[in-house]
Amino acid sequence: MKINFKKALSVFSPLVFALKYLKREKKITALVLAVGGFTSAFTLLISIFIGDAVNRVLRSGLSGLQYYVYLIILVSALASVSQFIVSYGSQYLSQRYVYELREDVFRHMVSKKFRFFENETSGNLLSRCTMDIEATRNFVLNLLSQLIPTILMIIIAFYFLLELNPFYSLFFLVVIPVLIYLGMTFQRKQRVHWKIIRDDYGVMNERLQENITGQRVVRGFLGEEREISRFKDTTDTYFQEYLTVAKLRGVYNNLMPLLISVAATAVILYGGYSSIIAVASVGSLVAAVNIFNTMISPVSILGRLIVWSENARAAIDRINEITTGKDEEVFDAAVKKEVRPPVAASAITFSRGPRLILNGMSFVIGKGEFVAITGSTGSGKSTLISMLPRFYDPDSGEISFDGIRYDGFSLPEIRGKIGVVPQEISILSGTLRENIGFGNGEYRDEEIVEAARTAHICDFIDSLPDRFETIVGERGITLSGGQKQRIAIARAVLPRPELLIFDDATSSVDAETELGIFRSIREKLSGTSVIIISLRETGLMFADRVLKVEDGKLKEVTEVRKELLTITADSEKKGGGWNAEDL
Amino acid sequence: MPKTYEEIEDEVIRGGKGFSSFKRMVADMLKQTRAFQLLVLSIIVTAITSTVAFYAIGLVADQITARNIGLLIVYAMVFLGMYVIQFFSNWLRTTTSTFLSQNTLKNLRDDAFASLQKVPVSFFSKVKTGYLISRISNDGESLSEFLTFQLPSVLSGVATLVISAGFMLYLAPTLALYSFIVIPILFVFTFSIQSRVRRNYLRTRRAIARITGNLAEDIGAIRAIKSFNIEDKVSGNFRKLNAENYEANMVASRLSSTYSAIIRIIEALGISIVLFEGGLETLHGVVSLGILVSFVFYVQGFFNPVIQLSQTYNAYQSAMVGLTRIYGIIDADKEALPLKPVQLDSFEDSISFRNVSFSYGEGYALNRVNLEIRKGQKIGIVGHTGAGKTTISNLLLKFYHPNDGTIQIDGKNLEEIQTRSYRRLIAPVLQDPFMFRGTVLDNIRFSDPDATREKVLECVERFGLGAIFKRMPDGIDTDIGEMGRNLSEGQRQAISILRAFILNPEILVLDEPTSQIDPQSEKAIINALEKFLRDKTLILITHRFSLIQLVDNVIVLDHGSIVEEGDVPTLLEGSGKFSQLYEYQRQDYELM
Repeated sequence: MKINFKKALSVFSPLVFALKYLKREKKITALVLAVGGFTSAFTLLISIFIGDAVNRVLRSGLSGLQYYVYLIILVSALASVSQFIVSYGSQYLSQRYVYELREDVFRHMVSKKFRFFENETSGNLLSRCTMDIEATRNFVLNLLSQLIPTILMIIIAFYFLLELNPFYSLFFLVVIPVLIYLGMTFQRKQRVHWKIIRDDYGVMNERLQENITGQRVVRGFLGEEREISRFKDTTDTYFQEYLTVAKLRGVYNNLMPLLISVAATAVILYGGYSSIIAVASVGSLVAAVNIFNTMISPVSILGRLIVWSENARAAIDRINEITTGKDEEVFDAAVKKEVRPPVAASAITFSRGPRLILNGMSFVIGKGEFVAITGSTGSGKSTLISMLPRFYDPDSGEISFDGIRYDGFSLPEIRGKIGVVPQEISILSGTLRENIGFGNGEYRDEEIVEAARTAHICDFIDSLPDRFETIVGERGITLSGGQKQRIAIARAVLPRPELLIFDDATSSVDAETELGIFRSIREKLSGTSVIIISLRETGLMFADRVLKVEDGKLKEVTEVRKELLTITADSEKKGGGWNAEDL
Repeated sequence: MPKTYEEIEDEVIRGGKGFSSFKRMVADMLKQTRAFQLLVLSIIVTAITSTVAFYAIGLVADQITARNIGLLIVYAMVFLGMYVIQFFSNWLRTTTSTFLSQNTLKNLRDDAFASLQKVPVSFFSKVKTGYLISRISNDGESLSEFLTFQLPSVLSGVATLVISAGFMLYLAPTLALYSFIVIPILFVFTFSIQSRVRRNYLRTRRAIARITGNLAEDIGAIRAIKSFNIEDKVSGNFRKLNAENYEANMVASRLSSTYSAIIRIIEALGISIVLFEGGLETLHGVVSLGILVSFVFYVQGFFNPVIQLSQTYNAYQSAMVGLTRIYGIIDADKEALPLKPVQLDSFEDSISFRNVSFSYGEGYALNRVNLEIRKGQKIGIVGHTGAGKTTISNLLLKFYHPNDGTIQIDGKNLEEIQTRSYRRLIAPVLQDPFMFRGTVLDNIRFSDPDATREKVLECVERFGLGAIFKRMPDGIDTDIGEMGRNLSEGQRQAISILRAFILNPEILVLDEPTSQIDPQSEKAIINALEKFLRDKTLILITHRFSLIQLVDNVIVLDHGSIVEEGDVPTLLEGSGKFSQLYEYQRQDYELM
């Protein structure tokens, strides 16, 4: 068994990571670590005193017996107090740590640029912010309350055994490393299987999801029996893997007490023999066996903890990807200047990987203008408009507001004045009022109602019993696609932005209502410039001007109807469907 | 309104439903007689060997005082032998308990899944998908954790406690009674704090659930958050939840740390009592030194099972909540089957709606609809969103059942017809084309797993959809990703259409089948359909004028009632709803 010291020490590296977040808790950390040593010592002292008490009994000294009984109670009281300090202290530290870490991770996460979220699935991010963080907390807790005290306990036990009889400590010395080694091997072996189990679990979830969302197809085409047997196959592999792990657990977990008992038997034989020969005390033998017995459970956990450390380190690596500060933007700069149209872009280019999406685009949108942008799927319409609120920055070329270059403004200055209604609407759980008053700032009831009216959602809201206080989301009512879009429109018009951008934001609303919304925006936000992305006739006909994105450039459109027909045909020729992300 | 986890948990715990679920599960487990016997055997053997091993230590001590080396070796070997036996019995316990618990879990999950295939379709509009998934997977997991890891070791610990206590009484009754003094103290203390433990536990769970929920929402809405520049606002909300979580955990850990500290004192008390009383009895020659030594080990052994038991309490509660909810899914009311199902082997004559009314809850989706569709007829159903078009298809496909009136197929009540036989005759193309993981081919073949590759390819070509799939990297063998994520809407619809057409059904129900398909492909489909539909009956729900040429008769729905009926040219001539609806589109269409 080769021991690599650097590797061995890396077990503690999560602690080093945690200490960054525990700078103000240095004293308590030191206290917990020190008291951990005392707890171990006190615990083992009880075994020693039991041995001494037995010796007293043998020598028929009742007063001596009393003395040791009191000692045991005293030492236990001390052990109990120090145990309290260790367990409460390590909980405290791990909770402080995780509090600070969560704050830090959350802040970094909301600071990330849009680009960052493209390569991350939300499930992935969520599991970093929850499971990975929790895994490191757990390890920090175990490290402080178990791993370090156990290591100290091993050292102290060794010393006590040495004092009792050097041979006892020798047995101990042989068996402990074997136990730790066994523990680690076991963890490594079972880890492979746990990974398979987790994967199977994922497959099971997918099957469920698929089956439930696709119920009508399943029923309509008589797929029930096939689905049931497919699901059974999945649960079966899961079951089989669990059995494999059980066989491993059965061997390794129970090998540990067996080994300790082998050592204890050696102690009994050797100790018993020498006591008989040398008329030495039985007490030390009892104490030694008792120490071995006490050590069984902490030592068997040790191997597990060491391997857990590897998981915690992997979790820390993943968390670090968020906290390194890459791809971040400043969201809390001061607001001093006002962003005002006209909005002008000159020769902006933008590419995504090898694909050139915007190829030297220029346009000017005047104050109060209502402009529609159209173009086939994947032509870059959404990419274009996402440059304006600086969700993305162009590779070259520049954008300006009222003649001032966009980097002369802070993000809050820009985003405070540009309202965007995206394709995908996020409705948060809470009331409709909260969802409309989503942005910064306090809004009066009249303002909220007015915004809802502009978005033509007010009648619907009025028809609900709780009106604006109606709960939506997980625990509330479910909104249809068109209702969501209109809530998002109300949300965007509420702060009366200087520039309003609709990214195909009325696709689920019928033509009549769509037109109504455009009209009321015109009427009520007359100074606001509006850009809509649309493939529908209503929008294009309503706009003052129509621009078409084609081959990364913009061109003015005059005959809207004809244009619409060619766009649909274009999408077909280009095969826009396959993997075309309309960004 | 769906209840929160905590509400259900509370309900289950308070109402004592958890225990009846537990009994039901145990009853199921008992059916696996052999595994169950082995488990009980292994637990008893472990308990006996532990008891004997500690007794052997005492005997060793006695041999030392008696200076008998021979017996010393024998007892030392007994001690070791007990652990060797225990190794095997524990191994047996681990494997059989895992077998039992995982098997139970597998059956529960399979049953729940099977139940979902048999509940009425309306069930899925009442219960959210996420809820069902998390019941079957997450709740299953917490049950698995409890059954596989916690329950067996607690049972084993308790069995050891009971057997060693019995043995102690046999060895030295007085000393044993003294030793037991701490047991009631231990139990009373442990259980007196359980209600606080439960409160703390619920509070910490709620706190972390709020954090996770909040994070999930914020991550999902991150673009909106950034575009409204409300990063600070959401950070503030998060900080509040984070602080609540911290508080809840600290309260819980104050209690648990105090508990374990006090347990240590009780343990010391126990040992002291044994040492003191045992010492006295040894001195008076009532018991041997060995008994005293063994008793010390026994008393030390009392504590682990009780501590474990107290820790298992929380796991038990949450496992039972999960179990109760899984049973909830398994026991969900199944779709009512006709008492004497009528087999329907072919469609001969007509489909008719007689005064059919239907409501999804509030207001009528269909109100006293009468409709007659003769075999071979092609009928179009048009109307605004919410007029009741899709409801007609839902009723026709037997996904839902009329609240009032009847639907008759060849004069037989649809309710009395065996669903399986009926669904062989009718094939739907649904509005939301659902895709399964796998290839394009797998998805087309979903309706007919026996269809050969050639048959599928032939079908693709016949409907002029070859071009759509040729663009994909591997043609019809392309993996479409999770729920068809890699497909465009048009491609999904094409698959959905083929899925129905490959069955060559007698009746076709198409619900907006081509809304996302480009005009060229749509044209190709329409052309192919004209031939394909020759002897078939078609019910076509659509907004699109382009498809209307396929039908001979149109029904216009408004607010759940039929407002117009007739053939296309006549209706277009008039100035009713139909001509209004199609005025715009007709111009576009003519332009092409």
